[in-house]
Amino acid sequence: METIMVAKNLTKTYQMGEVKVEALKEASFELYKGELVVVLGPSGSGKSTLLNIIGGMDQATSGELYYLNKPLHTANSKELTLYRRHDVGFVFQFYNLMPNLTAYENINLAAQIAKDPLPIKELLEKVGLANRADHFPSQLSGGEQQRIALARALAKNPQIMLCDEPTGALDFTTSIQVLKLLKDFSTSYGKTVVVITHNTAIAQIADRIFYLKDGRLVKIEHNPNPLPPEKVTW
Amino acid sequence: MLRKKMLRDLKENKGTYLACIVVMILGIMVFTAFSLVVDNLKISQKSFYTEQNFADGFAQVEALPFSAIGNLQNIKGIKQIEGRIVKDVQVYAPQSQENIYLRLVSMDPSKENRLNDFLLEKGTPLSNKTMNIWVDNKFFEAQNLKLNDKLEIIVNGKIRELKVVGFGKSPEFIYALRTTADLYPSPETFGIAFVPIEIMEKIFVTGVYNDLVFSLEPGVDFEDIEDTLEYKLKPYGLRSLIPRKDQVSHSLLEMEITSLETMARVMPVMFLGIAAMILYITLKRLIEQQRGQIGILKAFGYTRGEILSHYLSYPLVIALSGSFIGGILGIILAGPFTSMYRLFFNMPEAPDNFSILYLILGIVLSLTFALGAGYQGCKNILKLEPAQALRPPSPPSGRRILLERIPFFWNMLTVQGMMAVRNISRNKGRSFFIFVGIMFCFAITAFTWSMNDLIQKMLFDQYEKVEVYDLKISLSQSVDAKAVSRELSSFPGVNRAEPMAEIPVTLKNKWLEKDVVILGLPPNSHLYNILDAEGNSVELPDKGILLSERLASLLNASLGTKLNVDTPLIEDWDSTKQVEVRGIIPQYVGINAYMNINALQEFLKAGPLATSFMLTTEKERVIPLKEKYRESALVASIEAKEESFKKLQELMASYGSFIYIYALIGVIIGFAIIYSSSVITVSERSRELASMMVLGMTPAEVLSVVTFEQWFLGLGAMIAGIPMSKLMLTGIAQAIESDIFSMPVVISPTSYLLALIITAISIWLAQQAAAGKIKKLSLVEVLKERE
Ligand SMILES: Nc1ncnc2c1ncn2[C@@H]1O[C@H](COP(=O)(O)OP(=O)(O)OP(=O)(O)O)[C@@H](O)[C@H]1O
Ligand SMILES: [Mg+2]
Repeated sequence: METIMVAKNLTKTYQMGEVKVEALKEASFELYKGELVVVLGPSGSGKSTLLNIIGGMDQATSGELYYLNKPLHTANSKELTLYRRHDVGFVFQFYNLMPNLTAYENINLAAQIAKDPLPIKELLEKVGLANRADHFPSQLSGGEQQRIALARALAKNPQIMLCDEPTGALDFTTSIQVLKLLKDFSTSYGKTVVVITHNTAIAQIADRIFYLKDGRLVKIEHNPNPLPPEKVTW
Repeated sequence: MLRKKMLRDLKENKGTYLACIVVMILGIMVFTAFSLVVDNLKISQKSFYTEQNFADGFAQVEALPFSAIGNLQNIKGIKQIEGRIVKDVQVYAPQSQENIYLRLVSMDPSKENRLNDFLLEKGTPLSNKTMNIWVDNKFFEAQNLKLNDKLEIIVNGKIRELKVVGFGKSPEFIYALRTTADLYPSPETFGIAFVPIEIMEKIFVTGVYNDLVFSLEPGVDFEDIEDTLEYKLKPYGLRSLIPRKDQVSHSLLEMEITSLETMARVMPVMFLGIAAMILYITLKRLIEQQRGQIGILKAFGYTRGEILSHYLSYPLVIALSGSFIGGILGIILAGPFTSMYRLFFNMPEAPDNFSILYLILGIVLSLTFALGAGYQGCKNILKLEPAQALRPPSPPSGRRILLERIPFFWNMLTVQGMMAVRNISRNKGRSFFIFVGIMFCFAITAFTWSMNDLIQKMLFDQYEKVEVYDLKISLSQSVDAKAVSRELSSFPGVNRAEPMAEIPVTLKNKWLEKDVVILGLPPNSHLYNILDAEGNSVELPDKGILLSERLASLLNASLGTKLNVDTPLIEDWDSTKQVEVRGIIPQYVGINAYMNINALQEFLKAGPLATSFMLTTEKERVIPLKEKYRESALVASIEAKEESFKKLQELMASYGSFIYIYALIGVIIGFAIIYSSSVITVSERSRELASMMVLGMTPAEVLSVVTFEQWFLGLGAMIAGIPMSKLMLTGIAQAIESDIFSMPVVISPTSYLLALIITAISIWLAQQAAAGKIKKLSLVEVLKERE
């Protein structure tokens, strides 16, 4: 399998006055093209910290991180911006849509800065919201907003898709819809997808599962037979 | 506890509050400084007038026998009337390049309680027995005189020696101009001398008064006695009769005080208004941001009053510090400002007035503005119930706007552009604030630049385009134009000599009348051009009269109106004689009527008379020419235009520095507004902006959403600033219009361009300053929070 990202001994410490908080301790791993990784761990275990570092939103205090052999741990803010611009897609628990742009325009906001964007109409159809293209976020339900946020992240056609509790605020059926889209993106487009969740049931769809505890990547589990999202229940 | 929170909050937004304090300081500083200057000037003026018994009315006559005064004193309403002999003479100063003039004013040393009495600063009393004089202190200084120095004057071609035994000030010559065309005092070339009446009689061999001053009984108006006095003075050749308010020195002082007073009112209101708006939007934002905190405070049992007063303590602190600093600065500045005015207005210094009053007033003023704005910003707290406060505010909802109906415009925009344009209607209050602020910034700069432009144009045009002669010789009596022309032309180096007749008249249209001077000019004059509004030469008609615009409007005259003309110059004048208005032309300095000199001579039936001559000469011949005619009894004055022009340029150079101050004020206002609103926008939309950065947009791209909105609003505001600046200029033009000045209301394209550049620079600078806030946005933190 083709390696897209390599991490060696990633450590993140926060200095809080006198106290040092080690949010991430010496995490080493690789990410491969076309796989779906689920990150599990209790609250405060460092999941978001890890994801933010992978996504170039934050930088590790020590350790090395390579994206396609390019070092990210030494990159400056301009290079990180370019990395986010062309190679990464983000989805958050809270949707972070622009309130005064319509669904279509929100997606277009991302598409217009991408090198090789996916067609917006197709994406809207894929997330099942083609008829809502002209609606503003305040006119959409939470699940609909999350799907638009997902479409927006996909529109850039990124190599890596990072999702921090994408289903955290959604009901069961909507969650499954979102997961299906993510799974589909990794298999049919061959892109890497990393999903953080508190929901262990969701881990069943992953190719690999990362377990974090107290900032340590304690275990990486292979799942030879990932479950299709529609079969997942909780 | 809450105090600590306040200080931390203030620190967090220090840029914005600082901007607000700076604007407030400026406002209060201007308020205090100008108010104090106005007070100082007014107090000086008032006490000077009272103590020196300044007259309520002034008259000039041909010849009034000394004995006739008693009769005038009996007019009901007149409290005191004094006759004087007033003569302008030249000082004999062969070593001086310029001609120096002295106005000799007679006074009676034996009389007590004189009108327009001289305030002797140093020296000895005048005596009727010796050739002694007092001179005004400015002249004394400028001429490097010492007490008991001799001053030589030329009277009727003869040199007379006068001994300077004292110097001081006169309420009549606070702003001492030789002629109203001078515009500013020049003690290097013009001074006032007070001469004992008997000495005056001796020097001029005369036994009549030519000048009168009088005061009125309390409660009597000038209008009440005007007709009686006019009637009684007519037989003595009345030349002019004016109330105090038209007296040159007084009216110029009043004009200055009035315009300072206006500034002291308008400018602070503008500054404080802007500071108030900054406070309003900042506090409103703070309250929104701290909803949760407010909810918790309420849940703890803090009363609304306590919470409200907590938030009002922010504007309180700002207003107190701003007004205190501003007030102190104003008090400090008032001193040098007053001294600057004293350079022009020669009044004794009054003791400084009680400045604490304005400090307190300034504090009250800024507190009113700040607390008013603060309350408006905070009043939502009162409405919030604790449970509701703890809930996040309902998310902003996007809406379509009208502009989207214009596909051509809308399709041109990027998605960021669309966001920006829609954002304008998202926070209407703030957009309005930005709009108004930028409009002011633009209007102030456009207005001040064009003021500068206009004043330059008004004055320089007069010298460069209208009066194109090199020398003007004014005569002490009218002469035969042809003969003198011939003589002057034959003087070596004189290229051209043209006569001019300056005839004082009263023009009447029905019940409207005005005393002016008719300028009689040769047809096709090469040395004096009459210009229309576009600057093109206007031909003098063979018959009829041209009026300046202001004169036309004062007389309600238009083309074809027939005016009655009255002149004291000619005995047995038939005052039913009429002249037709044949044209109306702009005139910015002074107020005159113009006639073809031939037509004028014919109209007056006075033969080929001239009262002055305009010459062009070779440069090196100016001095010999002056020397030759300086002592002639016929010559009243010789004016070399280049000298006046040079002085004017010097004066204008110092005026120019004011313009930079105004431009700076414009920049500060623009900066404060844009900076504070940018900072607030960034804080309010931090989540959106951070999301865009996560999408991979550069800080510059993210900033562009905010800046595009501001530029878009700014463009509209600048367009609105065009009529606004016109309005301001119209206001000023109307305020300062007088017989001495009138100002055209035109704003040059350069002024607009400069205003545009200055406004744009201040907007841009503020945006750069705010850009730092975007770079500092921590993506991880912002997005971690719940929506
Ligand atoms: N800016 C910060 N300053 C100090 N400590 C921080 C900061 N951000 C995170 N931490 C600490 O780092 C640790 C890991 O935080 P992180 O957000 O990665 O946890 P998480 O696994 O995502 O938790 P959750 O499931 O609750 O989202 C926590 O102990 C947190 O307190
Ligand atoms: Mg997390």
